[in-house]
Amino acid sequence: MLDSYHLQVLERSLDAATLRHRTIANNLANIDTPQFKSQQVIFESFLQDELNARAGNGKLEAYRTNQRHLPFGNVGGVAVPQVVSNPNNFIQNSGNDVDLETETTELAKNQIWYSGLTQLTAGHFQKLRSVIEGGGK
Amino acid sequence: MSLFQGINTSASALTANRLRLDTIASNIANAETTRASFVDGAWQPYRRKMVELSPQTNGTFDNFLQAAVGTVTGSRGGQGVKVTAIQEDNTPFKRVFDPSHPDADQDGYLLMPNVDPMKEMVDMISASRSYEANVTALNASKSMMLKALEIK
Repeated sequence: MLDSYHLQVLERSLDAATLRHRTIANNLANIDTPQFKSQQVIFESFLQDELNARAGNGKLEAYRTNQRHLPFGNVGGVAVPQVVSNPNNFIQNSGNDVDLETETTELAKNQIWYSGLTQLTAGHFQKLRSVIEGGGK
Repeated sequence: MSLFQGINTSASALTANRLRLDTIASNIANAETTRASFVDGAWQPYRRKMVELSPQTNGTFDNFLQAAVGTVTGSRGGQGVKVTAIQEDNTPFKRVFDPSHPDADQDGYLLMPNVDPMKEMVDMISASRSYEANVTALNASKSMMLKALEIK
């Protein structure tokens, strides 16, 4: 329970949100740099694949001869975010392809996503605390 | 993965844009300066200056750590922006007819700086908007960090 998969997913998602925030901050920092190519972070689709795989309709499902064997799915951990260059952007005369509107909306979205994740994480620990304290309060 | 790096990234951009604004201010202030440098016994007018930017990449501890631990795949995120040089604009000086000016030549013509106030104003708006965008990113970093501290 303390080291649950749920917490691992939350942790990796927070990491991905941080990385995405840094990537957007870097794109915004280089908004006037000639020849700069903006980047983005891909994570949710990898996480979805990973969760699908755990649900049993995908890759890496070990065949267990005994129910007490450890499931294979736990070994690989959770998805890793990937930084790639932004594919479909317009390019300005200076060779720079940072789109201010896209970056700021992504920044706002990511901020909300991040605060949602922190609330979920706090909720996870809240549950643990209520179990430890007997839940009677 | 540290959120502080996001703050450093935004801070580098704030510094760079402040320097751009300072340079633009200098250009506007010297739009009429005919005696900026003394070359070969004659005064040269002021030359317009421009800031050259480039992305700040890799070489930092954080990048090597990320690469070694393998918590991210694909190209590494950058570390902000840096000013590589302050370049001078080599477009020719403006030649104005003003025989009464002390720096006019024998034909009554005077060389004036190659500063175009309109161009400077456009650059100034661009720089101050970039500055604002980076302040937004910095505030986002701050509020995200405070959110993370609320996990307890």
